[in-house]
Amino acid sequence: MTKGPKRLDLSLYFSREPVTLALLTGLALVLLLAVTGLSRLYHAQQESLAERWSGRGVDDLNAGHFQPAVMDFRTALLYDRDNSAYQLSLAQALLGLKRTDEAYAYLINLWDRQPENGVVNLELARIAVQKGQTERALRFYHNAIYATWPGNQETERRKARLELINYLLQINARTQAESELIALEANAGEDAAQQARLGGLFLRVQDYSRALPAFRESLKLEPKNDSARAGAGIAAFETGQFPLAERYLAQAVASAPNDTASATLLQTTDLVLKMDPFRPQLSDAERNRVVVNAFNAAGDRLKACPALGTAKPAPVSPGSPPAGNAAGNVNTNPSNSSPSSLAQQWEKLKPQITERGLRQDPDLVNAAMNLSFQIERGTTAACGPGSQADKALLLIANLHEES
Amino acid sequence: MPTFTRRAELNPFPNSQPRISIEEGRSGPSTEEIAPQSAVGQTPGSSSVSVFQAFFREDRFFLILSVFIGIFSGLAVVCFRFAIDWCRIYLLGSGAVPTTWRLLAAPAVAGLVIAILAIHVFPGARGSGVNQTKAALYIYNGYIPLKTAVGKFITAALAIGSGHSLGPEDPSLQIGACLASALGRRLRLSRDHMRLIAPVGAAAGLAAAFNAPISAVLFVIEEVIGRWTAGILGSVVLSAVSSVVVTRWFLGSESLFRIPPVEMSRPSELIAYAVLGIVGGLASVAFASGIATLRPLCRKLPPWTQYLQPAIGGLLIGCIAVLGAPQVMGAGYEYIDEAMHGHFTWQFMAILALLKIIATLLSFVSGTPGGMFAPTLFIGAMLGAAVGGAEHALLPHLSWSPGTYALVGMGVLFAGFLRAPMTSVFMVLEVSGNYSIIVPVIVANTFAYVISRAMQPVAIFDALSRQDGLELPSMEEQREESILRVEDAMHPPPALVLDARDTLDRVSKLADQEKAEKVLLVRLHPSGWSSITREEVKTLIEEGKGSQTLESILAGGGQIPYLHPDHPLETALRYVDRWPLVPVVNRANLRELEGVITQHDVLERYRDFGGE
Repeated sequence: MTKGPKRLDLSLYFSREPVTLALLTGLALVLLLAVTGLSRLYHAQQESLAERWSGRGVDDLNAGHFQPAVMDFRTALLYDRDNSAYQLSLAQALLGLKRTDEAYAYLINLWDRQPENGVVNLELARIAVQKGQTERALRFYHNAIYATWPGNQETERRKARLELINYLLQINARTQAESELIALEANAGEDAAQQARLGGLFLRVQDYSRALPAFRESLKLEPKNDSARAGAGIAAFETGQFPLAERYLAQAVASAPNDTASATLLQTTDLVLKMDPFRPQLSDAERNRVVVNAFNAAGDRLKACPALGTAKPAPVSPGSPPAGNAAGNVNTNPSNSSPSSLAQQWEKLKPQITERGLRQDPDLVNAAMNLSFQIERGTTAACGPGSQADKALLLIANLHEES
Repeated sequence: MPTFTRRAELNPFPNSQPRISIEEGRSGPSTEEIAPQSAVGQTPGSSSVSVFQAFFREDRFFLILSVFIGIFSGLAVVCFRFAIDWCRIYLLGSGAVPTTWRLLAAPAVAGLVIAILAIHVFPGARGSGVNQTKAALYIYNGYIPLKTAVGKFITAALAIGSGHSLGPEDPSLQIGACLASALGRRLRLSRDHMRLIAPVGAAAGLAAAFNAPISAVLFVIEEVIGRWTAGILGSVVLSAVSSVVVTRWFLGSESLFRIPPVEMSRPSELIAYAVLGIVGGLASVAFASGIATLRPLCRKLPPWTQYLQPAIGGLLIGCIAVLGAPQVMGAGYEYIDEAMHGHFTWQFMAILALLKIIATLLSFVSGTPGGMFAPTLFIGAMLGAAVGGAEHALLPHLSWSPGTYALVGMGVLFAGFLRAPMTSVFMVLEVSGNYSIIVPVIVANTFAYVISRAMQPVAIFDALSRQDGLELPSMEEQREESILRVEDAMHPPPALVLDARDTLDRVSKLADQEKAEKVLLVRLHPSGWSSITREEVKTLIEEGKGSQTLESILAGGGQIPYLHPDHPLETALRYVDRWPLVPVVNRANLRELEGVITQHDVLERYRDFGGE
């Protein structure tokens, strides 16, 4: 009697749902384990294929074989579609093939996911430059400068900033370029080439006072750097430090005789030094002789400028110093600086400007030089740049007016 | 008195409740259905067993089983994905663009093998799998042989892996349905649950393949089951979610495509999306017509050609690939991804859309097993991005986001070709994860659906099932079927409606005055309705109860159910044979009678409807 119900209980218990569920759970666990094994095999294969194809891609990219590189990276992405490095490399290969739009599509998607990626920002900036999208280019360049970079962050950021400066110079945004250069200067390390590059860029933005220390720093680190010498010479010349300019330019020309620009500038520097009556440690006799020569040179220039009262001001060449900012005791009155008036003044003063006359009246030195400067400016404005001597006189004028 | 006895017996609401409506009445039968099962096993001394059995009633057990179905389907789909990729790597090579000889040989040779397998070993493996699942539900009581799943797995993996232009979703759906069916048979489920188990497995398979549980659930409800009930929905959702969890565990949680930011700057751009809807609708019609026309033609060819058709189809697809469009091979998800991110020109994408239609036609009509979801999405994405690109070229002020257009394009083809309008909207939302795209999707899908519906009256799945000689219910026709409601059959309220406080004498007098019908309606206090026949009134007066009120006579179970005008007419059928007159009352005021309905009214209306 008692066995019947117990057996029934057990059979009910074991034949119904709980046991079924236990069996199903066991089966599910076994299958999960089996599929886990398969999954490991699968993922390992996918990973290995992705690496193999991306390796080929890198080789092709480095060898400049962009077409196969594109295919390699596309294949690598088949096996690891979210790999940013592969996407970036693919974009770079596409850029190599000038398929800018396709590259842009990859890069902008990468940027959506990694807006802090320096490489992506820099590539996007380059594409924007190619497309003439200045605002976008500047935005991406700035992003790149403050972004995260693989490897040496500072070096990469500096490179990005240098590229931005070059772009700014290319679009004639000198002020912005100068600001970037000042920021770059603050982070410039002790690297001769880097300092020389910095100096060169300061020269390009006509910030000579910052260019000179950069070149000097470069020369301190690498004294035989010809381009730094030439750059330092130019910077010293433009800041009116002619003796220093002469030294650097002479060194540059001596070590690089083919550097005609430095040679020409050296000539001008020599002339300035030769024709400057106000330079220190000059004897009175020598000064008087220099003043007479300068005065005569100005007279020759006046005679050689036929456009007297009717002459229109000629444009000033980029290399010549500005002519219209005369100061000091030089007569800047336009009516007085007209060729005819200047000729009268010169003629009037001429008899007194001799070595003897100057010895007797040292005040004539200033008067003669002032008139010479005035003549040089007037004739440059009316007839264009003159000879090397005339240029030198103008430079001397500017130098002493500034001081 | 006999009348009262009969009424009490028939009354489904023995515990007199103040309100009885049809909605409340529905809950009754379900408890009745459950009760006998709960009683099983109530043997002396078996309390622990009865606790289990109460917990594991079949409907609850079915829900738990749905989770297991999801897990098994998910695992199967994961293996299916591995198999497809392995087939691709070993047949086409690991490179993105295979060599020419592989492009030509792999799909052709695989086609030959597939044909032999499909004809001699796995005859049930042909087709997409959606109709087979529907057939299991409506014809075979949920039965799908497990062999079909094995066959589908092998042949579809070979086909897709070798480059046939087909997708893995529909086969996954069928594999899920097969596994569920096998499990249900093993566990000896009831016939009702056996019928439902195939769609539950189908949802799991589709969700796993698509990595999108909501779309899978909606598709199965919309296209396979065709109706919404809490029991079905619960099982389908559970299986879909559990399968997606399994798939994500093994394959990661990334969606099939990386979705770029969705852009739409101004509402006027909806016109551009409407144009996309029109183009997509026309493309859907072309695609569907191609399949509907070519498939029977291929089937009419001599039987020996069945061995060669998949191979020839594969060879032609290989030729398309060799000529410069290898993107049309296989499912093509990676290229959808590229299209979304603007890696192709719009002209090239337009060409790819056209070539993909041709390639899919070649694969599908040749009888190669595989699905149409992925090709549909591919065509939609390419077409969408191409139309968007062309529009932007013509009107540069339009915001141009290839990803947005491609996404909308996918929805458009889904609505136009597969004719699953609701799934098409939710699929795009689920895949994009961005609800701001909903308006363009709805606009474009509506145009595509309407155009497709107008130009191709029979939906593609229905056309395919009819070609196969199966009269499966058309979900689209069911959706659009006009429903008869109570208001279509009821007649106006009778002139005489009695008040429960009236005495029997007064009732008799009023009935005589108004020449009332045999059955009189009684408005109860404070609410509810009842009825009484004139014969009963007469009998009660003869028994000397003429001074009593109707309230006192009808007390204790005299209420009758009532209907509302908007109830389906079939609901009325459940009551009109038990109550000669059923009141139809206003939903806002249950004491306000809108009309009455009788069995005769219902039958008359159905007869007229049949004539229409």
